[in-house]
Amino acid sequence: MIEVRNGGRDLEELIRAAFADDLPAEVEAGMRERVRRFRSDPARGARPSAAWACLSRRAVWAALSILMLVAGILLQGAKTGSPLADRISSVKSAYASLEPTRR
Amino acid sequence: MTKSNGNPVRGRAVLRWLFAAAFVVAAVASGLFSGLRHEAGLFYLVAGSVAAALMGFTVREIGTALGQAAGKPGRREETARSAYFWEAAARNAWILGVLGSTLNFTLALSSESGGIADTGNRMIQSLLVTLYGLVLAVLCLVPAMKLAGRVPTALSSDGIERRPARSALLGRLTGYVLFAAVLGSTLAFLVGGYPPSGPLPVAKVLLHGPAILVVFGGAIAVVLFMGAGSGARALTLGFGMTGLVGLLMGLIQALFGFVHTSVAEIAAAVAFIISSASFSLIGLGVVAAPLEDREVMEGRRAGVRTPSRMFWILLPLLSFIFLILTFIMVVTPMTKSG
Repeated sequence: MIEVRNGGRDLEELIRAAFADDLPAEVEAGMRERVRRFRSDPARGARPSAAWACLSRRAVWAALSILMLVAGILLQGAKTGSPLADRISSVKSAYASLEPTRR
Repeated sequence: MTKSNGNPVRGRAVLRWLFAAAFVVAAVASGLFSGLRHEAGLFYLVAGSVAAALMGFTVREIGTALGQAAGKPGRREETARSAYFWEAAARNAWILGVLGSTLNFTLALSSESGGIADTGNRMIQSLLVTLYGLVLAVLCLVPAMKLAGRVPTALSSDGIERRPARSALLGRLTGYVLFAAVLGSTLAFLVGGYPPSGPLPVAKVLLHGPAILVVFGGAIAVVLFMGAGSGARALTLGFGMTGLVGLLMGLIQALFGFVHTSVAEIAAAVAFIISSASFSLIGLGVVAAPLEDREVMEGRRAGVRTPSRMFWILLPLLSFIFLILTFIMVVTPMTKSG
């Protein structure tokens, strides 16, 4: 954002230097028209609802995603039981009990 | 000149495909490969690949690609698009093949009845879907490479020019609905094939909380980190990276389980490996890849880059290797020393 502002200032200085006193009338008129249109834009004043603004914030999503990631890693590390893990346990135990008969 | 040469070329191409189909039918009918039959897996793969094609391409683009594979001539631009379509079809077959194996493997493990031998058989049979996916991928790569030969830059999709986006929403929605229907009916068929007491409820088994949190949380974090300018590539990277992280995390935990001689720890790790592979492959094949296809076909970016291709090949391959490792971990007996 700072870079954009600086870039805009540089461009302004360049235009001023290039057209010191002789800015073409049509360019000036065009710029004034754009400024007028920007000021009269009805969408400019409208503010999104607070909930939408909150949801659209990247920071919220970033925090949520990091929380999900950390929660997933912690849950896995805590070895909380799951139906699939329990079933794998019983299959593995069943294979272990088969071992002596195989030999 | 083109017209007079077009028909014989097309005829030869059709003849070649008919010959290949006859060979496959004869091989199946001979019964030599009866051990390699998995009807539900084959249905899932073929119908799923059609659905995946609809998710990323318009019906017109698919029709043009089919026509060009049958020898129909086309402009350079069309040929580049068709080559990309076939490359994407090969990728979809490969990803869906391994995804089918992981889901089938999970269901096989969840079967509570039928005995240990039955569970083992089902686990090995689930790997057949990957074999089908690989064969279908190779079949799709043949037209991709032939068409790429006609347009030197076609395979890297650099020959595709920017064009206004067409409303393909209906086609894509159809693709997603069809894929959900195919996946649902295949799972229902597989569950129906179990003995009366059956497996645990499918949703309970497949929805492994920690894997869902790691894969989707990680993918969203990567997408946010890369920013909106990266487009669907960020999703490919996100699902690819979190899938690899999940696989490695699970493997390390399982190795600790062997060191601690803890069956519960190994089982938790195996569940995490299979589930994170499934969810990252779903994200890669159903979310990221179709979005990348649309970006390329609409010319919103100049072709697919190497990192995306690497994840499309590497993640399914590693998932398959880890599936075999989990099978070995499950069937390897463990005794406490001392």
